[in-house]
Amino acid sequence: MTAAKGSAERTPSAARSPFVYRPTASPEEAARWEPRRILITNVRSIAGRAYPRLIGLRREPSWILFEILLPFLTTSAFVFVYRALQSPPEYIGFVVLGGAMTAFWMNVMWMMAAQLYWEKDQGNLERYFTAPMSMMAILLGMAIGGLLMSTFRAGIVLLVGTIVYGVVFSVDQWFLLLGVFVLFLTALYGLGMMLATLFVLWGREAWHLTQIMAEPVYFVSGLNFPVARLGLFGAAALGTIPLAVGLDAIRQLAFAGSTNTGSFISPEGEALLLVAMTIVFIGLARYLLRIIERLARQDGKLITRTS
Amino acid sequence: MTALAEAGTRWSRQADPESTRRQSIAQVWRGFLTATRLGWQTEANWTNPVVYFLYAVCTPVFATLMLVFMIQVISGGNAPPAYRAYVVIGSGLWSFVVAGIAGLAWAVLDDRERYRMLKYLFVSPNDLLVLLLGRGLARMMVGAMGAIVTLGLGVVVLGLPLDLARIDWPVLVAAMVLGLVSIVALGLILASVAMQTRQDSWHYPEAVSGALFLIVGAVFPLNILPTFAQAFGLISPLTWWLEAVRRALFPDIQSGIGGAGSLYASLAGHDAPSGIEALLALLLTTVVVTLAAVATYRWSEHRAKERGLFDVTTGS
Amino acid sequence: MPVSPTPLHSAAALAIDARNVGRVYKAKPNPIVALDGIDLTVRPGELFGLLGPNGAGKTTLIKILTTLLLPSSGTASVFGFDVERQTSQIRRIMNIVSGGEQSGYGLLQVREQLWMFSQFYGLGVREGWRRVDELIDLVGLQEQRVQKVSQLSTGQRQKLNFARGLLNDPWIFFLDEPTLGLDVSAARATRELTLAWQAAVPGRTILLTSHYMAEVDEMCDRLAIVDRGRILAIGTPAELKHRVQSESIFRLELDRLDRGVGALARLPGVISAASVAGNDNGADGERNTILVKLVLVDDGALGPVVSALAGLDAHIVSLQKSEPSLEDVFVELVGRGFEDDLTVHQNGTGLRSAGSRPADEESVAEELAGRSR
Repeated sequence: MTAAKGSAERTPSAARSPFVYRPTASPEEAARWEPRRILITNVRSIAGRAYPRLIGLRREPSWILFEILLPFLTTSAFVFVYRALQSPPEYIGFVVLGGAMTAFWMNVMWMMAAQLYWEKDQGNLERYFTAPMSMMAILLGMAIGGLLMSTFRAGIVLLVGTIVYGVVFSVDQWFLLLGVFVLFLTALYGLGMMLATLFVLWGREAWHLTQIMAEPVYFVSGLNFPVARLGLFGAAALGTIPLAVGLDAIRQLAFAGSTNTGSFISPEGEALLLVAMTIVFIGLARYLLRIIERLARQDGKLITRTS
Repeated sequence: MTALAEAGTRWSRQADPESTRRQSIAQVWRGFLTATRLGWQTEANWTNPVVYFLYAVCTPVFATLMLVFMIQVISGGNAPPAYRAYVVIGSGLWSFVVAGIAGLAWAVLDDRERYRMLKYLFVSPNDLLVLLLGRGLARMMVGAMGAIVTLGLGVVVLGLPLDLARIDWPVLVAAMVLGLVSIVALGLILASVAMQTRQDSWHYPEAVSGALFLIVGAVFPLNILPTFAQAFGLISPLTWWLEAVRRALFPDIQSGIGGAGSLYASLAGHDAPSGIEALLALLLTTVVVTLAAVATYRWSEHRAKERGLFDVTTGS
Repeated sequence: MPVSPTPLHSAAALAIDARNVGRVYKAKPNPIVALDGIDLTVRPGELFGLLGPNGAGKTTLIKILTTLLLPSSGTASVFGFDVERQTSQIRRIMNIVSGGEQSGYGLLQVREQLWMFSQFYGLGVREGWRRVDELIDLVGLQEQRVQKVSQLSTGQRQKLNFARGLLNDPWIFFLDEPTLGLDVSAARATRELTLAWQAAVPGRTILLTSHYMAEVDEMCDRLAIVDRGRILAIGTPAELKHRVQSESIFRLELDRLDRGVGALARLPGVISAASVAGNDNGADGERNTILVKLVLVDDGALGPVVSALAGLDAHIVSLQKSEPSLEDVFVELVGRGFEDDLTVHQNGTGLRSAGSRPADEESVAEELAGRSR
């Protein structure tokens, strides 16, 4: 056994050892990261965290049935309700659009909001907190992994629904539609990031909140009908729930000229609303993460598996 | 009596096949009750009763509201009351299906991924199947709460024409018993799936119940669907369960199965099934689904054992 | 970005510098004092051990030093960086591996899991894969390279954790019970890996916690004996053992001892008598004999003990003079044994230990003894 070595300098032979990877002269030098390196590490961490999400899909193809085919059938059920009521054809389109957009909401609730809580239970959260990247990068990685998956699901539901049920879209402003869609995603996943941090604070209650929130949010967001028909509730939803705003804006833009898409706000206004939501939700997520880290370090429980 | 003699008597009692069978039945029953109690505790002990009540009723009430509002939007307040009643009953009862199907699958995911207890349950003297059924039953109680509140709101707020004197109680009770068995059987199939899939499959039960929603005539009559979809509906016990319960509660309500141009009418030669007919079809389909569920579960259990899936965490 | 170490104390270059560190957990009915004023300094390049039973406060100290927990009182720094405020800097130069760790995603393969973590430490995409392959070879997981993490054995899992811990080339490595639950060969591989890693670069520091005394004795340059949140002694293993060198320690194997070891503890010249294996009476299950460890003021005290044993109708099967071990140091310092089934009777007292005995303590000791031969 060697005695205390004392010196922090590295010998030339050390560099050839398989145990040496990125030689630095001292711990102080190793701890000194330029802003560029911090940024790159965080970007790479996003990719790192998104990776298991995408690999998980490839490794278990059951999601094609459970996340695409079956949700499409659920959407179809609402199509047939409208058919039973002999509704105007746009309403069938509303249902198909709503069914596609549900994919994102489901993903945010089940694979974002509740996820950090799981990470804690699996011991990952503690490892994340001891690594040098920002926890925001982890949240973003989770979001992007889930987002890619949900976009695929939403795309298929939209495509198949459009073909099978003969939905006719009428788009005048493609760029605005695309912009609103992207903003919808950023606001929604920003909300997911915020909820993920909140849910770690709330523990098991949060898990049940995920379930409590699903149907009420579908309802007040006007999943299958224009949200304005809900009056005050609809207006409140537009002010708080990205799904409501995104759906309403996309519905207005995808069925331009329809008399059934009346809303409180124009798509442009809703785009601004989504920008504001993105800023607020991501800002809150960042703020809450700091609180979590502080509380976790104070109490010693929040990020460590306790059950 | 000496200790030796006592042990000898106990031994001879154990050796008696009748006694051993009684003991094993008692053991199964104890295991089932313990699992139900545990399930109820894990379901309910996270909050206070008021929040828990909201949690139980939120989903079915808002799901029903969504449908009622869709009818309202299209009809502009002139919706036919019969159709609204049809939708409210179907949607309210659906709470049982969602909870029943999810209960068993979530018990598998919870015990494997969160509590890491699945392997211990599997090696305990009780059959894991019995323990899962107990856990599932606890969640079914949540579903029952949701269904009762939704139907109650339907009667009080939406004016559902419920006449207690006209309820066909024998058919209602028989249909509920068989219906719940079939729901648990479907839940068992989902539990078998959850045993094989990753942790992120929490919402699979919801996806399955959503898909079943389409073909069982829960919120619109089957005859609106294409013929092949109607055929799927007719082999599902849930279709017959909803029909039997609906007919038992509201004798004048429209049939969800028959009607002009329906597959049923063309096969049966008459317009709509009677309550007894629905009950018999429910019995038959329930037996088939239950046998299929047990077979699927055993296969899944075997595969999980073969691949060492009882003690893995599979998050992504 | 200002990253200079904060000169908290005069010795800013210390790898670990903890001053009067206390940690209290809120609990009902009473708060739990996990650390009660720890003072500890570890020099760069040291392999420092924390030895103590379960609940001694070892893991709490590691959590504080790895920025997972705040101290309730006192200050601590790692290579001069304050654990409360300079967490980012500390996270860039350290890593941690705990025994029985289950972190990661079961669906990922070994290679993928490590690559994911490599990204968290800022390695490039291809660079990450290269480094991962290198580490897989280093820890001996070649055959499990594309195996799912959920299918690894405990030993393989720990190798994976080690590989993860080495991804960022840390300057300080925190090892919290790293060989917990491992079989003899896996534990040996882990220890060899640890020593080889440290020897590769001067200045690399390791803080190791363990309740395997032989492991700490063999591996560490210095160690602290910790119990109930306090450091009872710090020094090299030799220095600590020297503390009990003045006493004579004998290992007695008896055919019977009906009145228990307490009868021996009351004899003149006996400092302590402890049953050391099997059951409460120290019975050796396989050989049907009683094993007793005697600590005497000097060799001369053995005579009265032998006479007394004859009076107790106990026959000596074997008698062996023992060199002091860290276990003896612990008994001397704490007044009780380290492990669950170690009952110690001191003159005038009869105390039961509260710690738990690791299942393979013996094997660790034997294996290390074999290695040193």
